Amino acid sequence: MEYYRPQHLKRVLQLLGGGKGKAKLIAGGTNVIPDLRGKTIQPDALIDLSHLKSLSYIKEGNKSIRLGALTTIAQMASSKVIKNYAPILSEAAQQLGNPLVRNRATIGGNLSDASPAADTAPPLLALDARIITENATNNKKAIPIDQFFKGPNQTVLKRDEMIKEIIVPKWTSPHIKTAYIKLGLRNSMSISVISMALWIDVEEMFCKQIRIGLGAVAPTPIRALKTEEMVTGKEITPDLIEACGSELKKEVRPITDIRASAEYRREMASVLFKRLIERVTFEQRE
Amino acid sequence: MTKTHYHAIGKKTVRKDGLAKVTGQEIYTSDLFLPRMLHGRVLRSPYPHARVKKIDTRSAEALGAVCITFKEVPDITYAERIVTIPQKTFKDRHVLTDHPRHVGEAVAAVAAETAELAEKALGLIRVEYERLPALFDAVEAMKPESIALYETIFFGQEELRVSNNVAATREIIEGDIEKGFLESEIIVEEEFRTGRVYHAQMETKSVVCQPEADGGITVWTTTQTIHNVRQLLGEIFKIPLNKVNVKKISVGGAFGSSIQMNSVVPIGVALALKARRPVKIVLTREEDMVDHCKYPSYIRLKLGAKKDGKLMAGHMRVIVDIGAHNTQAYPLLGCMAGWWVSLYRLPHLKFEGKAVYTNKVPACAMQGFGNPQVTFAVESLMEILAEILGMDSIDLRLKNYVGLGETFWGQGPTVRSIIQSCGVEEMLLKGAELSGWKERKKTLEGTIRRGLGMARGFHTSGAGAPMPGEVIDYSGSIVKINEDGSVDFMTALMDLGGGTLDALAKIVAEELKVPLEKVGISSVDTRTTVYDVCTHATRGIYCGGGALHKVTAQAKSKLLEFASRILQAPPHALKIEIDEEAGQGMIYVEGVPGKRISVGEVAKTAQINNWGTIAAVDSLRQVNCPPTFNAQFIEVEVNTETGVIRPVRAVLCSDAGQVINPDLAEGQLYGGLYRGLGYALLEDTDYDKETGELKNRGLFTDFKMLTAEEIPRLEDIQTYFTHTREPTGPFGAKGIGEAALNPTAAAVVNAIYDAIGIRFTKIPVTPEMVLKALNEKRNQG
Ligand SMILES: Cc1cc2nc3c(=O)[nH]c(=O)nc-3n(C[C@H](O)[C@H](O)[C@H](O)COP(=O)(O)OP(=O)(O)OC[C@H]3O[C@@H](n4cnc5c(N)ncnc54)[C@H](O)[C@@H]3O)c2cc1C
Repeated sequence: MEYYRPQHLKRVLQLLGGGKGKAKLIAGGTNVIPDLRGKTIQPDALIDLSHLKSLSYIKEGNKSIRLGALTTIAQMASSKVIKNYAPILSEAAQQLGNPLVRNRATIGGNLSDASPAADTAPPLLALDARIITENATNNKKAIPIDQFFKGPNQTVLKRDEMIKEIIVPKWTSPHIKTAYIKLGLRNSMSISVISMALWIDVEEMFCKQIRIGLGAVAPTPIRALKTEEMVTGKEITPDLIEACGSELKKEVRPITDIRASAEYRREMASVLFKRLIERVTFEQRE
Repeated sequence: MTKTHYHAIGKKTVRKDGLAKVTGQEIYTSDLFLPRMLHGRVLRSPYPHARVKKIDTRSAEALGAVCITFKEVPDITYAERIVTIPQKTFKDRHVLTDHPRHVGEAVAAVAAETAELAEKALGLIRVEYERLPALFDAVEAMKPESIALYETIFFGQEELRVSNNVAATREIIEGDIEKGFLESEIIVEEEFRTGRVYHAQMETKSVVCQPEADGGITVWTTTQTIHNVRQLLGEIFKIPLNKVNVKKISVGGAFGSSIQMNSVVPIGVALALKARRPVKIVLTREEDMVDHCKYPSYIRLKLGAKKDGKLMAGHMRVIVDIGAHNTQAYPLLGCMAGWWVSLYRLPHLKFEGKAVYTNKVPACAMQGFGNPQVTFAVESLMEILAEILGMDSIDLRLKNYVGLGETFWGQGPTVRSIIQSCGVEEMLLKGAELSGWKERKKTLEGTIRRGLGMARGFHTSGAGAPMPGEVIDYSGSIVKINEDGSVDFMTALMDLGGGTLDALAKIVAEELKVPLEKVGISSVDTRTTVYDVCTHATRGIYCGGGALHKVTAQAKSKLLEFASRILQAPPHALKIEIDEEAGQGMIYVEGVPGKRISVGEVAKTAQINNWGTIAAVDSLRQVNCPPTFNAQFIEVEVNTETGVIRPVRAVLCSDAGQVINPDLAEGQLYGGLYRGLGYALLEDTDYDKETGELKNRGLFTDFKMLTAEEIPRLEDIQTYFTHTREPTGPFGAKGIGEAALNPTAAAVVNAIYDAIGIRFTKIPVTPEMVLKALNEKRNQG
């Protein structure tokens, strides 16, 4: 196996396009190294991104915040900008893995690995983020995150393409609330049994718009579109919440694995939804 | 408790190995580098059951690697755990095998200049396997139509046929249970299951072997017993014991995982002998996880009682799925019977145990050797019985427990002795008071429900008894007083991380009245020590410390004899006390001024006058294995929406006799609680029935253990030590370690029952199980 450690993005893209057999990007390596060890991947070459400091940033613009693909989860967890404009992403980052993992793991790696349980995905889905990619011929694309994942460990990325940055829009309405919950087999160092992020534009219990991002309940991180539709343009009532909970159980398509059964995950989808809705509407009730 | 004036016993002190450990300077097997050392790796079966048809190591050898296969290791069937006497030891293992019976069983090994090269060479060995049908369920395995995993195994020297894959059975009867149940007014019966837990000791099993010019070998390895490793290596490789030297080296935790000579040890030795160079093998975590696990159990327990709560009869049936090897399931079954009958008086009882082979990771001792399994069943059923009787469960326990003056045989039917110290009553009453047992009330409303549960248990301090039984149990030491009044002691007893050797140093310091800093724990090996069986069975302080106490007293007699020559008073007129300022033990004649001399001066005078070294060596078999009792009160919160159980508070009571290291003893209680909570709520290993692999693939990612976030905070854990002294123990001490975990699982399920009214009989109790049970209960109305 060959190993490359380019200093510039251009060289990375060149290498990716170079047809050097099966090349694998490695950022923090917290997925790649265990996969290599477990022989679930057997690449011909590794392209180490860890020296691309130019892709490690969190920037605040007028309408959005931008995160370089090599931004670590630890950087995200401690970032004021993310805390202010994407608090659910901040929470998800704080709960991902453990401090050792967070110091190495990157957001680009988390999304590209495309685990159904990738913890940054549900908040980014709820926040309607876009993924900016670039390929060997310097073609850039902006992919809405809900179109990025294809299946377990599969994305729309082509072989010569990589993530450059992630764009999270700032929200415009003053009535937007967000909330996030991760449920694992323990409170830390735990891969999600289910995670859920909620973004809602709600005033006096009237829901103008809602986005629900879910992890570990389908082959990819997903949006709960049907449930969202049930709530959009409605007054939020206990009956509606109950109905949404039931709908969510149908909408998710979880599997049974070593961490939990499909039934448990379904059940939890509804429990977590109720909790999140209660959290975001707490001040508006009574 | 008699009034005592100890300067070392019972005092909080800084551990002698503490500084080296916290600064990373302590040397473990994996830290060793010897000149010309090669790195070894082991080739393991990817199949749960197979025959090796062909094996080709030529490409690996072409790389310069030294290779061994099953053809090149001594053709000997051995047992890796030799704590049991040879006549009662089952043997079914080979150094390398052509018939792997679990995923991860070793078939070949390589050694090369670097770890990378060894890894590469490993990948070049070509093996052709014939896959055989595999068994993953003990009950299934016992069916006559199931494939036989073994034709024969050895029992002592005798070759035994294995039928229905049953590796060992045990039936024990006392009284007449039919009569006992007939006389009972209430009968309760339940089935209990416990998980297949991985030891998860911090240091993975490792070995370094150096072949010596004289044909001998020197070995460093992760073990709980250097002498048993020595004896087994001598037997396998036909090397006289004087040429097999096993060095004592720190181990990074054990929990029972190294009670045997681990399978990697003879592989390392065989490689080193072939290469004629030192070889080191450090298991990866993935390899370590397929090496051993805790015995999982299926227990069916029936108890009969009178209406006043007096137990009349008991019947316990046990099936243990031991996996691919018999790592002494026979004594395990004896102990399981023993743990049971030594908890409560049963006039009529019957125990039936079966240990069954399957194609899984071999089970071996782990914290309690069957005791947590049995105590989980017994203490759950006692709670059920108490409820039916309408009796407070503490009263039920007080009425029936085996206590002071009674015979008990915790370590199995051949290890019987009389209980001479007992803090059961004190613990139950005090624990109830500290935990608010009597005032606890039910909250059956809301999402979060709280419940308080209790359970008691015990473990033996070692396996000694007046009569020699099936278990070998004795220890020995050498004590030497140096010419400045400091002391060296040499023991083969291993410290598994709990601070056992610190306790031993305190025993020496106390007996000789020298300051603790002046007692040195010598680095030793099998050449420089007398035999100690093993650090297991919570025997370190009581048996190892007991032997050391005896030897120290012998050295003290010699010291006093020399002092008597100097002071011109008979030895029995001499007293000894510590002089902290002088940093010396002082010998004096009471009431006679001027007749006073330090231990150092005596030793120096003896040297100058050529009287000799003040030293002693001896062995001691303890003729008891006193129960170190305990009781735990645990409070949990159950979330009825997610099923998540959170232990929030604990009162941990221990009857360890005289406590020698108070902070470390507390640490043992915390550690037992921690691992016990994991046993009750989380830790388990499951198998992929298609591939025979562990579902967690040997990774900690999916062998989950609790973290500090899921256990009660330190300020919410109370510890309590009883005011007992064990008359047969060194300075009144008993053991503590394993006892600290034995009742935890039962206390947790009892607390869950208290919280939500649902009784779980299978552990770990997962959120899924809780939720499912809650839904069923709701649906029933
Ligand atoms: C102990 C442990 C705990 C963990 N806990 C969690 C957890 O709680 N939640 C969670 O979501 N994950 C968890 N993970 C998984 C992992 O840490 C995350 O997915 C992490 O974000 C991956 O980032 P990385 O930089 O390490 O990726 P790498 O391992 O370097 O790469 C992962 C994948 O992404 C590709 N890749 C990397 N960067 C790019 C890029 N810029 N463009 C295109 N492809 C790219 C790689 O080729 C590879 O396929 C855990 C891992 C470990 C070892």
